[in-house]
Amino acid sequence: MVVSNSLQEYFAYRLNFILWRVRVIVSILISFFLWQTIFKTKSQVFGYQQSQMLTYILLITFLNGIVLSTQTFRVAEEINLGTLSNFLIRPFSYFGYVMSRDISDKIVNTFFSIFEIIFLIIILHPPIFVQTSVYWLGLFFVTFILAALLFFEIGMMLSIIGFWSRDTWAPRFIFFILVTFLAGTYFPLDILPKPIYSFLQFLPFTYLIFFPLKIYLGQMDSFFLLRGLGIMISWIILMSVILRYSWRRGLKIYTAEGI
Amino acid sequence: MQTISVSQLKKHFKVFKKAPGLGATFRSVFSRPTEIISAVDGISFSIEQGELVGFIGPNGAGKTTTLKCLSGLLYPSGGEVKVLGFDPFLRNSNYLKQISLVMGQKNQLWWDLPSLETFRLNKEIYDIPEKDFEKNLDELLVLLEVKNIISTPVRQLSLGQRMKMELIASLIHRPKVLFLDEPTIGLDVVMQKKIRDFIAEYNKRFNATIILTSHYMADVKQLCKRVIIIDHGKIMYDGSLERLVEKYADFKIITAQLRSDKVDKKDFTKLGKINYFEYPKVSITVSKKNIKEAATILLKKFPIEDLTIEEPEIENVIRMVFTKKKT
Repeated sequence: MVVSNSLQEYFAYRLNFILWRVRVIVSILISFFLWQTIFKTKSQVFGYQQSQMLTYILLITFLNGIVLSTQTFRVAEEINLGTLSNFLIRPFSYFGYVMSRDISDKIVNTFFSIFEIIFLIIILHPPIFVQTSVYWLGLFFVTFILAALLFFEIGMMLSIIGFWSRDTWAPRFIFFILVTFLAGTYFPLDILPKPIYSFLQFLPFTYLIFFPLKIYLGQMDSFFLLRGLGIMISWIILMSVILRYSWRRGLKIYTAEGI
Repeated sequence: MQTISVSQLKKHFKVFKKAPGLGATFRSVFSRPTEIISAVDGISFSIEQGELVGFIGPNGAGKTTTLKCLSGLLYPSGGEVKVLGFDPFLRNSNYLKQISLVMGQKNQLWWDLPSLETFRLNKEIYDIPEKDFEKNLDELLVLLEVKNIISTPVRQLSLGQRMKMELIASLIHRPKVLFLDEPTIGLDVVMQKKIRDFIAEYNKRFNATIILTSHYMADVKQLCKRVIIIDHGKIMYDGSLERLVEKYADFKIITAQLRSDKVDKKDFTKLGKINYFEYPKVSITVSKKNIKEAATILLKKFPIEDLTIEEPEIENVIRMVFTKKKT
């Protein structure tokens, strides 16, 4: 029901949505052409073949839709404007609601991203890498779902700051800059110098984009895979504990302003 | 069992103080002095099932804060609140299914969609069986006379129509306890009357417990037998409206029509406090025990054409309650 209402509301703001999609495509095209140029002179860069790299770039569109698209920033607005009260006085799970709102956002964005990928493949004719192993595809599926969950938690955490501060855009903005660089939305993280790359593996950002894509490409030994999953799941659990705790604390000082 | 019981409820807010001016703004980046404000300062009351109680007080008196504590939105800084046997802040869903909070200046309707969509969403949220939903909805639509606009997108509705839709959305699950915060704010007189009649009807028909806050005395006068007056977070009066007048209004108003203007204004002050004196009309506040004497003197010594003795307006009584406390 919430999903359906959100979707209806969505299309009431078509222009906004279209512009958002254009932004995603443009940023993909930039990375795409950049890498295509680099591969003109070499067949392999940083251990990636052209097809793998271009597939990585194209799939970012897909993961952008399924992992990085979110409406959680609205939670901050709802806290600060006091509209959160509308949800709190009714017998339903606000977290469930926020989640379904995100799911509908992800459905729409993913749906369009698939079209866009097909479109890009048709016009650009890039060499692409198609993963056929069920094992890797299955893992890819599991990890991008986990990544979406992790991102949701981080997004919620950034919004919950709204209980303590009016300004939630500043932390969110910093976070997005971090994500774009540290999650691997411009390039695979393992082309970075070894010490930086090793350090990044302990941060949650790595697991949002880079980790699932690396799995799709199948470039992973089981040690790296297990350790990655371990760190990822630890982050998810840790974040959920922090989230739960701060949500409770936040509600106690919630002022239900504006109403 | 009491439906609502509140004892020693307190709610403090921490607010940041910032002096005006650019310098102060810069300073406030580094250190922000805070101040604790007691919005509600130790109030206690209890309400039986089926009562319709009016909450009165000036802006910032703590009315809305109390309602928010009762509906579980705010965490009390102290004291105890029990509604229908539940602690509101725990927001047990069995509790939330039996209450509703209506804010006159806030909407829960989906702005871009017809109201029916919101009603249907609430049906899901409150787990209302289809049959009950149809029945409740139909009843409410008829009572509020809004059957024809149910499919109009909310943003195209007038303020009055929207308020009616808000009420329907808030009552579709037929709550046993209803908190109404300024339900008639911003509406024209006719619409106010309609909403009032509706609230009275809802209270009677379902034996619902209702707390209503309002700035409009007319709301309170028509609807509430019992009023609770709060100011600065404290209860100043809790009891029936009639007794309020008796208790605080130990005076009546004498209005006289004069035949000639050959009177001295000073002579009236001996009888009581002059409210206004504009020839040919004079209005005097006289304490109850002197009322007979004052009337006799007036008729004997002044050129009186006509004379009326009235109970003071409830507005004035309430205003007096507030001023009395301060002095």
